Amino acid sequence: MVKVAIYPPNSLILADLIERKGHTPLALQKQIRQKIKDPEIDSPPMNITEEDPIKGLKYAAIEVPSGVRGRMSIIGPLIDAAEAAIIVDGAPFGFGCVGCARTNELSIFCLRKKDIPVLEVVYPSDEDETMLMVNQIMDFLDSLPGGGGDLEGEGNVLGESSEENLGGQ
Amino acid sequence: MPANLCITPDLGKEDMDPEVSTRMIILSSKANVSESEVVNFLHMLNLPLTIKWTCYGAMISGKDKYVKQAIKELRKLDPYGIFTKERGFAPGDPRRCRGHRYGPREGFHQMEKEFRILDYVGEALRNPREVEIEKKEPVSVDYFKEALESSFKEESNNSSDENKSEDDKE
Repeated sequence: MVKVAIYPPNSLILADLIERKGHTPLALQKQIRQKIKDPEIDSPPMNITEEDPIKGLKYAAIEVPSGVRGRMSIIGPLIDAAEAAIIVDGAPFGFGCVGCARTNELSIFCLRKKDIPVLEVVYPSDEDETMLMVNQIMDFLDSLPGGGGDLEGEGNVLGESSEENLGGQ
Repeated sequence: MPANLCITPDLGKEDMDPEVSTRMIILSSKANVSESEVVNFLHMLNLPLTIKWTCYGAMISGKDKYVKQAIKELRKLDPYGIFTKERGFAPGDPRRCRGHRYGPREGFHQMEKEFRILDYVGEALRNPREVEIEKKEPVSVDYFKEALESSFKEESNNSSDENKSEDDKE
């Protein structure tokens, strides 16, 4: 069973296919859920606190806009925990939940730079292209170690290791 | 009255429980089940879950193990037409629910885009087959030259014919 990072990080299709193969998708929603449950956040849904851009320094330099660093403080731990990645290229404008082109670029760069198997697929526009994309994703997931039945992925996607990583900076 | 985008929600005990997760169940347009069937089926499972009927399918919230159990059972109804994904906010959370604010819910636009190809994804899962996509390549220089020369020739022939006919008329 492998933790697979996906891009866009909230993709329905990617997360669903990964779960069908018994792996764990590193979806952004779990991170967001942790954020919104935090009683210390004063003004939800503005969920970025002043701590977040500081945490984001692990992934982006100080001169990078705080918006990018704040976003990276949420997406970064997912990238750290990733053991494989699936990235969708050439998606239409506005596809994805991040809302920041630079964060998208930085996240994809971090995933590519990491020494993990990465599959890059092109966003499909018709039936044949979708078939090709699904075939590629299924072959890639089959090639990863572990896997099993539907929805057998881990519940705690980040585990303790990534928290230790964050705490160590 | 302006939309209040900074509602401080009155979260219940369940919303703050770290074991609770929420899942969206999204039906593709070729699914063999309807939203109402999905919701009825989930109710009939008799699991301690919050179930919300939505336009795209349903949303369930509860302890992680019950949610997973419900999804596993539900997928048996139509394995290639039912898709699920995690959701960060609980059902009806005023920070996301459209009933409490203006405009489409965040995440709606992505779901709209993905919904358009869900049928194809379901079909690809049901009947996987090898496909080859022809890549559009630029025209080769030789072919371009040939085409240009032939069109120039054609044009010059036409113009000479026209001149001849005008001379004949005169």
